[in-house]
Amino acid sequence: MRQLKAIWLALPVLALAVTGCGSNGNNGNSNAAASPDTSASASPSAPSGEKVKIRMAYWNKETTVQSLLDLIKQKLPNIEIEYQFIENAQYDNIIGTQLAAGSGPDIISVGPPAATQYNKLGYLADLSSLADRFSDAGTSVYSVDGKLVALPGISWFEGIYYNKEIFAKYGLKPPKTFEEELQLHEDLKKNGVKPQAMGAKSFEPMMKSSMGLIMNEFLSQSANKDFDAKYGKGETTLEGNWNAGLEKWSELIKRGYLTNDMLGIDYDQALDEFATGKAAMWESGPWALEAIKQKNPNIQLDMFPFYGSAEGPGWLIGGPGVGFAANAHSKNADAVMQVLDLIATPEGQKAFWENNQGGSSYLKGVSFDMPAEFDGVKETFQAGNVYAPWNNWGGSASSIIEDYGKALQELLGGKSDVSSVLKTTDKTTARLLQLNK
Amino acid sequence: MNRTAREFQYGLFLIPAFLFYVLFCVYPFATMFYYSLTDYSIAKQTGLHFVGFRNFSEIAHYDLLLAGIKNSLIYAVLMTVFQTALGILLAVALDKKLKTRNVLRSVFFLPAVFSPLVIGFLWNYLLSTSDAGLINRALTSIGLDKVNFLGDSDLALYAVVFTQLWQWTGWAMVIFLANLQSISKDYYEAAAIDGATSSQQFWRITLPLLQPSVSVVSVTAMIGGLKVFDIVMSLTGGGPGNATQTIMTAYIKTSFDEGFYSFGAAYGVVFFGAVLVLTMLLMQLLKKWGGSNR
Repeated sequence: MRQLKAIWLALPVLALAVTGCGSNGNNGNSNAAASPDTSASASPSAPSGEKVKIRMAYWNKETTVQSLLDLIKQKLPNIEIEYQFIENAQYDNIIGTQLAAGSGPDIISVGPPAATQYNKLGYLADLSSLADRFSDAGTSVYSVDGKLVALPGISWFEGIYYNKEIFAKYGLKPPKTFEEELQLHEDLKKNGVKPQAMGAKSFEPMMKSSMGLIMNEFLSQSANKDFDAKYGKGETTLEGNWNAGLEKWSELIKRGYLTNDMLGIDYDQALDEFATGKAAMWESGPWALEAIKQKNPNIQLDMFPFYGSAEGPGWLIGGPGVGFAANAHSKNADAVMQVLDLIATPEGQKAFWENNQGGSSYLKGVSFDMPAEFDGVKETFQAGNVYAPWNNWGGSASSIIEDYGKALQELLGGKSDVSSVLKTTDKTTARLLQLNK
Repeated sequence: MNRTAREFQYGLFLIPAFLFYVLFCVYPFATMFYYSLTDYSIAKQTGLHFVGFRNFSEIAHYDLLLAGIKNSLIYAVLMTVFQTALGILLAVALDKKLKTRNVLRSVFFLPAVFSPLVIGFLWNYLLSTSDAGLINRALTSIGLDKVNFLGDSDLALYAVVFTQLWQWTGWAMVIFLANLQSISKDYYEAAAIDGATSSQQFWRITLPLLQPSVSVVSVTAMIGGLKVFDIVMSLTGGGPGNATQTIMTAYIKTSFDEGFYSFGAAYGVVFFGAVLVLTMLLMQLLKKWGGSNR
């Protein structure tokens, strides 16, 4: 009978707990939607003297922010950073789910589309108090309705790394046009060297490589200045506009320089091929430099940009880099603000740049020298030719470029053609625009 | 205490489990069905509108979801058939009095202990076409061409199935072994006296009496196959193209990457219906088989 009484007593407690869970969840959601301006400083923080643990998520490995993490450890000994690396392909997925469940990281690395989306849902704290320290070029990308939602990090870019020793051995020079690039591939192939490593298992490298040519051939023309903005609104299509450019780019496939077996190779394996001298070129950016040198400290490398038919400075795929946002519902908001405050100093920017050399800082009065490994793209930077078309394709850009890249995988696998790639991408864009209406 | 009072008391013990079941199964599913009829999305989380079956009709026009359904069906059927068949063969072989049988049982069961993500990472390297790919290095060293296991859209899905058979056949073997050990040796002795061959003993005694474990393994494999997600994400990411997209990878992409929760919910409801129907069909089939054995 005593047991029965215990059960009767336990039931209301259980029911209360269940109801409590439910209503908390609802309140969390409605607060998130109703008060997106939640200030970081309004949240509670740990008592002084006690070590505070905060979680930081990023799609690049810990080595790419090691100097920054070391600086935080040194300058803010009361704060311990738990670094969470999430692979790029799954990053938005996992972070979106964690934030929706109220268990997101304290410091969230974001790109511009995600920052806009998360802010709309009330997940991000207001960082406007730090906005004055950055140039407008940086803050404009991460500002929504006049509020700064993420600190702009170092800008990013992607070009084609080449192994200077292999080039010198066969008397080859970096190209100045796309036709010269094709010839370069041919010369290397004839000499028994794999011209280019590519981790085409990911949708990204072919997507960026093809856009590199299209930026030269099509998007840089004055008549097409607003093409991307129009495309993001569904006012134009890739089919009928990008065909010539993509057809030309597909020569890399037709001539056997990009091969079917690359679809079975991932980023790390491609990096390994290039770093160990098994391939002469590899498309990537400054974040890979550290890893390449770790694998092969003696490698001599440089970079050239994507070229078109005409000679010129070429183009690099790139734009505003990662943004560091603060979780509006973080339990350690004060500690988060201390870390962000440190990042927004010349010292913090230098530490972040240490592992991302090549990019530039948006912090006012801070500039860094370009490492020698990027001498070959100096002219491209001077011309301001750093661009990522999808940054103007709206909030669904990530899905569109993924489908475009996957359609290119089918092209490389011989299951599709140029026109189908473009039509598939247009279909995705139209579908997403329709669903967003 | 009379019988009704006693049963009422027992019934009370079920309440916590029932509450958890309602909270974690019934409530989420009912919510999913509700959302599938609305315009709930990442951009519209309040003031939802009722849109009828619009989300359901959209599914038929979305290539990714259709590819996911097709691939999941192929995957689930192959896993069900081969995991069951190979599991039975292994179990029968390792039920024999071999000196190494305990070691072999452990070896075959071992892969089931690891997370599919670990298995995915391992096979990603084994099957790679780069120099790190051990299998392709072995093939080229004996003068054969490389096989693009994960990068060829005609092969990739079967390569994923292969890795999962490698991982889970040992688990099925353990279930069958437990069942085999419950079969009385008298049947085999009687059959041997009547002059039945080993093959006849297998088909007439072993297999019919394995029906209960075949039901467990095949239904689990079918449902698990239709829900497959982690190994696909770690091995191929759904590629090349959409060659290895499954129902769950397509569902995650639609719901979370793209943020169209209501559309994803509609797909989830369809998926639930498909799993229910397929599982019922399979169970009917197994029941019939069990009936004909009696």
